[in-house]
Amino acid sequence: MDFKIKRKSTKTAVVGGLLESYPHDLQLYKIPPIEDIALKEFETLALERLTLLRSLATATTLKGLRLYSEEWIEYVLSDLRTQGLKYYVKLCEKTDFSTKEADLQARRKDHIAHFILRLAYCRTEELRRWFVSREIELFRMRFMTMTSDAVDTFFRINNLCYTNISEEEKNEILINLRESTHHQNIDNMKFYKVKFYEVLDLVKTRKVYLKGGYAYVPHKDFISVLIAQYRIHLRQSLAIASHHLSEVEQDERLVSLLKGLHQTYTGNNYSDTKAAVPIETLDSLSSKSFPLCMRQLHEHLRTAHHLKHGGRLQYGLFLKGIGVTLEDSLRFWREEFTKIMDLDKFEKQYAYNVRYNYGKEGSKKNYSPFNCLKIISNTVGPGDCHGCPFKHSDANVLKNKMKGYGFELQAINDVVDLAKRGHYQIACSKYFDVVHNSSMGLGINHPNQYFEESQKLKGEVKIEPKTEAKQSIKPENNAVEDMEFDENF
Amino acid sequence: MAKQYDEGMLSDMLPIYYSRHFPQSLFCRWLSCGNYPQPLANRELSFTLADDVYLRYLSISNQKELQTLFQKKCPHKLDIGPVYNIKPSIGRHDAIVLARELVFDIDLTDYDEIRTCCQEANVCDKCWRFMVIACEVINTALKEDFGFQNILWVFSGRRGIHCWVSDHDARTLDSPGRTAVADYLCLITGGDNQNKKVNLVGDNLHSSIRRSINIIDKYFNIIVQEQEFFSTKEGLSKLLRVIPDETLRKQTEETLDKLAPSSLERWEAFIQIYNQFCKHNNVRKIKYLIEEIKIQYCYPRLDVHVTKGFNHLLKSPFSIHPKTGKVSVVFKPENINSMKLDSVPTIHTLLDDSAKENTQHEANMRTAIKSFQEVVFLLEKTEALRRKTETSISLDF
Repeated sequence: MDFKIKRKSTKTAVVGGLLESYPHDLQLYKIPPIEDIALKEFETLALERLTLLRSLATATTLKGLRLYSEEWIEYVLSDLRTQGLKYYVKLCEKTDFSTKEADLQARRKDHIAHFILRLAYCRTEELRRWFVSREIELFRMRFMTMTSDAVDTFFRINNLCYTNISEEEKNEILINLRESTHHQNIDNMKFYKVKFYEVLDLVKTRKVYLKGGYAYVPHKDFISVLIAQYRIHLRQSLAIASHHLSEVEQDERLVSLLKGLHQTYTGNNYSDTKAAVPIETLDSLSSKSFPLCMRQLHEHLRTAHHLKHGGRLQYGLFLKGIGVTLEDSLRFWREEFTKIMDLDKFEKQYAYNVRYNYGKEGSKKNYSPFNCLKIISNTVGPGDCHGCPFKHSDANVLKNKMKGYGFELQAINDVVDLAKRGHYQIACSKYFDVVHNSSMGLGINHPNQYFEESQKLKGEVKIEPKTEAKQSIKPENNAVEDMEFDENF
Repeated sequence: MAKQYDEGMLSDMLPIYYSRHFPQSLFCRWLSCGNYPQPLANRELSFTLADDVYLRYLSISNQKELQTLFQKKCPHKLDIGPVYNIKPSIGRHDAIVLARELVFDIDLTDYDEIRTCCQEANVCDKCWRFMVIACEVINTALKEDFGFQNILWVFSGRRGIHCWVSDHDARTLDSPGRTAVADYLCLITGGDNQNKKVNLVGDNLHSSIRRSINIIDKYFNIIVQEQEFFSTKEGLSKLLRVIPDETLRKQTEETLDKLAPSSLERWEAFIQIYNQFCKHNNVRKIKYLIEEIKIQYCYPRLDVHVTKGFNHLLKSPFSIHPKTGKVSVVFKPENINSMKLDSVPTIHTLLDDSAKENTQHEANMRTAIKSFQEVVFLLEKTEALRRKTETSISLDF
């Protein structure tokens, strides 16, 4: 990373230079900035971009808006306006290629800020994922708001030339294209032929026609090709940045700033707790203080005396997070599993798993309990009962379950309704209020956070979370930040 | 079987099996993917010894080392991992995965909620038909959609099948790529809390789904009869739970309940009710209900975690299944329909000349090795071709 802040000034930045460096609102951030910049500006730019990225995350998680929908974009833009970030509004709302001085300045800020955050967010895999996901959302949103003129210019500037397939070739597979492409009137659309791994997001969702290893991408979806390349570029750049972090950190002024930046926004990962929760209390805790996802795993384990791999992982790590010790955990799982299998089988096939969760086997990593987004985006297959009950249950199954717990019908309907509309975390928060007879309207983003909040409310806090843990769950805007999206789109 | 298979005998039989029957040379060539020697030496093998002792990060540089390792350790089970940047037996902690076949694992236990003939570890020729469909669907998709050629199909030894794709593009596909392929092929999602596990959205059926349905249709009526999906009260209510529209569900229940318990008759009656229903109602939401049900009952149920992981270990072809003694034979996808579970060679029948099935099983073993050979030869040929074009491209610049 070429980002050197201490270099002596040789400033020659005139409009002509800026125009050359920033011909277009949308950039691929290939070349790092090389100019000098004041520490004050460094900090401001970083914080402003962070506000922007956070606003994207809020729109999806806390507001529950569909990614890239009109309301989603509208929310982001209005949030930026209230925060006074006019230049980002300009860059996002009408992305184009004007030559006005103000626009050029905005592009310069955008450019520099992006590279500063790369430094702040290259530190761990978790941070990198968060950053890449947000930057891609930003990129895609800006691409969507472009006029076709601006798109053409963007492609020309960045030397992105692709040739579409011939009419003949297209006619041969027209029926298949019509079936497998999610657009109306494809007859007038241009199609491009790329290798299937260049458009993984389309392949994953079966929105493109595949033949012989090639994907036939319609003009309208071409952004997918671009995003895929941008993602690879970002990932690689972050990996490079993390290698050079030590060089940058020779400047102490930057160290505190860069570290401070991301620390404010990661939240607790609940990978260690001090208090010990005895396993004898789990039955009562599960009905009082467990989120529904864990409660149903617990109940399933008690009735079926078995959980499949995904369930053992999700529940086992959660138990570790609330303070069940390794020894207790082993005893807990052993007692249940040995009801349907002999001890020998348990010790050979399952005890390893439990010790693994506590970082005693395999790569010996101290694994963190899963957060909501991980659980929501997890794959749940036949025979599984892990995952998020608000996402991975039929409405009537969910309804019956809560009826069985004896909740009021109105409350049940509210929760089910939220779940049906895809607001899983808000449904969970509503469930929390129903169970606790409260109206906290928490932003739930981690099962262990749910547990701690519940314990606090019941005044049974034996758990003394570390100070930063407390910070991360109290202020509402922080709660959003670790709602991290799975980066595998 | 002439004699009851005995797991305790394995340790005595395995050394003979490995030296006489296991296709060591082909095995090494297959693992080298036509790039001898580097990918072979950096490939992780793992052994499960007697008493479930598990050895990971083993590696071999040539057939001779494999032979020695077999004789020394006598693995009861043999698994294959990825190719690392270094020899995994030397530096496993800094090792980076460079390549790994794209693999698929289909196991009959995932069909427990559907199949009526067996449960859990048991299999019969009736439930094997699910594997026939799975193999055909996945094999066709890999070839036609993804353009892969070097595809190896292996019987897992007990109740499932494995598929290994060795094409260069497949071997070097990264994690998000594998996830995308797995999700593209996986149509059945949802856990025990979701009754309807297939939801096809959009105005059209994707070409690949349409093709899969055509494959399923070849077998659907037979499998409905064999499995009698809807003949019992429980089976019927399973079907009803998948119907999202309440009116249609009621109509179906009333009619089917009165019918004879023949599943096929009930299914045909259901289609009629459905078609009638569609004439008079807005059916956007259940436009593909028939297809969705067929998929839920017959479409391959992949263990997607195995496919998505870059370094997931998978049981090797020609390894012995320690519980059944059966050889994990390679088979040709076009022959799976005629494959019978009883005809799969076991370590016992192979080693015992006097066993009744000995001749038959030896012949079957030879066929399996021949099928393996064909895949390995094709792989070496395509690899050589690929390297040739690669060098000619780099020379152009």
